[in-house]
Amino acid sequence: MSEVPERKVGIVSCSGEELAEGTVARLAALKVLNELRPRDTVTICLPLFLAGGVGDRVFARLHPTITVDGCDLRCAARGTEKHSSKPAASVVVNELLARCGLERPEGRRRLNAAGQKAVQVTAERLAALVDQALGREAGTTASNDAAVHEPDGDRREATCSCGSGVPVTKIIIDGQAVELVALALIFQQFCEMGRRLDERSQRELFETVKIYNAVPPEAEGSYREAVLREYAAFCHGKKKG
Amino acid sequence: MSLSKETLVVVPCSGIGKPFGSVTREAAYDLCDELRPESTRLVALAKLVLGDPDARALVAKHRAVTIDGCKQMCAAEMVREIGGPVAREVAVLDVFRRHKDLKPEGISELNEAGRKLARVLAEEVAQSLDDAVQPVKGADHV
Repeated sequence: MSEVPERKVGIVSCSGEELAEGTVARLAALKVLNELRPRDTVTICLPLFLAGGVGDRVFARLHPTITVDGCDLRCAARGTEKHSSKPAASVVVNELLARCGLERPEGRRRLNAAGQKAVQVTAERLAALVDQALGREAGTTASNDAAVHEPDGDRREATCSCGSGVPVTKIIIDGQAVELVALALIFQQFCEMGRRLDERSQRELFETVKIYNAVPPEAEGSYREAVLREYAAFCHGKKKG
Repeated sequence: MSLSKETLVVVPCSGIGKPFGSVTREAAYDLCDELRPESTRLVALAKLVLGDPDARALVAKHRAVTIDGCKQMCAAEMVREIGGPVAREVAVLDVFRRHKDLKPEGISELNEAGRKLARVLAEEVAQSLDDAVQPVKGADHV
């Protein structure tokens, strides 16, 4: 059975090579991906928003994203918003360190002790934001437990989005063609579960679609109507086929 | 920082999802910090992606060495899009094919083989730049 991709948080790091803070951003992102929240997170290479294909851009629309930047240029945050969608949360390393009263890191290639501390603090902040994005209470996630109990040899590598392909469907909403991601998978899943179009199913179907797609609040009614119309057609087609 | 006409800009992809991305970053540091510190300047790809005017101006004006960790060739694509002169486009995988004993592992912390692969790549680029009489736009991968 086709399944709607599990909801995960995409971590986008600037990885800025020119500053130690860029190295902090990169290592903090990797710490979250590999150790703190391995089951809840995936990563996306920032440049892939430009160089990658539709699948790469769609990936970030499918998952809520948290960006981590080394400096005020906020390349990851601005780039993600420009080429994909607005991040659920953003962290800027130098701002975070200033708020915490911590020293600036040094050593863009090999971080000094202040840099190592900065990685820890930034990673913990990111992990808390991941929990928030997934609607969980901080520190109580299953992935936390996994990180504690899994031996080092079983640690997962960061999951990369390279080549990820997520189906996109174009539907007409208020006379405009709109791309919705994972719609076919969601329909397939609801259909195979035997869900009819009663009020509860309608609500749950649309809420599921909203998890993976940004729906403008002012157009929610139109989106809902269009999605339900498409689902009815999908089910009808299944019956005939 | 004022740059001479002969300064090369070095743009690694720094891909975060695979060890090959970390090799690009390490190789760029080898090249810019140790092998050719006087004649190279590291430029963060993230800045180019965002359209930072200073970073784009550097790439538009100076010959670039791009180092990529996967087939998407993000760094090379970006520099080509800006239209700056290209000295070398390097794909880590091409170098790895010639040095199969240097299999990089670890993203946060590259293993010794990964660091050696980065060094080999950086030395090859440095040597080829020294040997080059005329830069060739769109030069083949190393």
